[in-house]
Amino acid sequence: MATVPDRTPQAEEAAPRVVGFLCDWAVRSEGLLSADDTLVGMPHVTVIRVPCSGFVKPGWLELALRSGAAGAFVCGCPMGDCLNREGNWIMEDRIDQLRKRLSRQKVDPERVAFFAFGLHEREDFLRAVAEFVDRVRGSGGKR
Amino acid sequence: MYRRLLLSLQSATLRLDTWINRVLPQDFNPLYYTGGLSNLFLTILVVSGILIFLYYEPSLEGAYASVEFLTRDVPYGVVFRGIHRYAADAYLVAILLHLFRNWFTDRYREARDSQWLSGMFLLVVSGFAGFTGYLLVWDERSQLLTSLTVQALRSVPLVGDRLARVFLGGPGVSDTTLPRFLFLHVGPAMTLYVLLWWHYVRLRHPKIWPPSVWVLFSLGLLFILASALPATSGRPAQPGASPEGFAVDWFFLWPYVLARWLAPGWALALVVALVAYGMVVPYTLRETPEQRGVRALGQAVVVEENCTGCELCYYDCPYNAIYMVPSPYPGKSRAAANRKLLAVVVDSRCVECGICIGACPFEALELPRMLDKDVQQRIQRGARAAAPVGS
Ligand code: SF4
Ligand code: SF4
Repeated sequence: MATVPDRTPQAEEAAPRVVGFLCDWAVRSEGLLSADDTLVGMPHVTVIRVPCSGFVKPGWLELALRSGAAGAFVCGCPMGDCLNREGNWIMEDRIDQLRKRLSRQKVDPERVAFFAFGLHEREDFLRAVAEFVDRVRGSGGKR
Repeated sequence: MYRRLLLSLQSATLRLDTWINRVLPQDFNPLYYTGGLSNLFLTILVVSGILIFLYYEPSLEGAYASVEFLTRDVPYGVVFRGIHRYAADAYLVAILLHLFRNWFTDRYREARDSQWLSGMFLLVVSGFAGFTGYLLVWDERSQLLTSLTVQALRSVPLVGDRLARVFLGGPGVSDTTLPRFLFLHVGPAMTLYVLLWWHYVRLRHPKIWPPSVWVLFSLGLLFILASALPATSGRPAQPGASPEGFAVDWFFLWPYVLARWLAPGWALALVVALVAYGMVVPYTLRETPEQRGVRALGQAVVVEENCTGCELCYYDCPYNAIYMVPSPYPGKSRAAANRKLLAVVVDSRCVECGICIGACPFEALELPRMLDKDVQQRIQRGARAAAPVGS
């Protein structure tokens, strides 16, 4: 099993790279992303839209960390309001398990996160992402 | 037009959620538990109904008196009667909220139509059981409702008279009538559980119970209501009398309120038309995925070589769209070589949500238009700028 590498000091100074998955049914996405899949105004945050937060394989989050991202997150709908009833609960569980696995590998589990925001909560979503970026800049980069 | 209306209703529903979530913790939002709340109230109805049943006497002379006895002389009888009465209202409110929420948030068609249809049946049967509950008291209101219903049934072409006979348990109101009403109250209530089975059969882990905060809150509210505003009967029914007005309960008796202006037969026809419309609602909007603004990623496909038969996808698919079958031949990958089971996706139930893909640890499931390798590429592109030192 490949380990998650430390980030280079140069990258540490730049805005940390973050990869996120966003459910199609959660935050309204018109005008949210630029052409290259990054968040408008946050070019260091790549967002991949998925049909349901439950689609995301925990392995993909690990892959993101392994490929150099400082953090990875999944955003689904508010808990209890998943279009598919269960997707976000399942995903939250999977992220909990992933975190345990990461701590066993001596990787800071705070580098993965789960958010839950609905159609009208774009501002809250963006704020949460910004906070997450700050958090992984502080702790995640060092490991 | 209709589509636009639905979209704005959806937006409004979710806006309402946002507000509620500001006040309450997300997982206590009662609108997320309308189905569970309905089930809670149904359970309360059944329990209180059994207690009332112990005292009830289904006969023309005894019915009214037995209800009065329960209300006046049995300790807490009035509370139980009140709880039964108000839980019925709460139940109806909850199922209507459930209906409209799932309609407005687009959760009623395609792979979910069996839930919608069973839901319409549940609604009709619940409404009917609620209505026959009013007959059992056998006060003036019951009498009026009975005569209106008989008029409405008689006006049905061809089978009208027979329907009225079935309803009354004989050619007219007689000693067999109240036992028949009792059956028409309890029978549908039992039918509800058969329909609930249909309602749940396609769902894995259906949410059938609200959080305990809401259970306690609902119970408390019912107790307070039942004690503060006791349920009462009207004057006892008089043979031959034709009572005019009564305090209506809009929830269950709205068709009878209409009967003030409409001939009872037409009120019945209106109810039938509404229900019929409800049944076709999931099939009214024929739209392509593009029109609906969703990406059609294709139904999940099992990569048979890799499937190990671990059943994880089977447990996570919310729609029971995955079946595990005895493996017809061994898989190719090392982990799959000795498998006993193979996952199979039932296309007609799959909603293309991809939850099974997230569950599969063996790369044995794919959404055809969003392949694992493409996602991996996009992840790497996203993470690339900060190139790792090692690996
Ligand atoms: S994509 Fe998978 S989890 Fe979703 S409905 Fe289809 S089979 Fe079930
Ligand atoms: S999770 Fe994957 S490997 Fe396990 S049964 Fe389902 S398809 Fe097969």
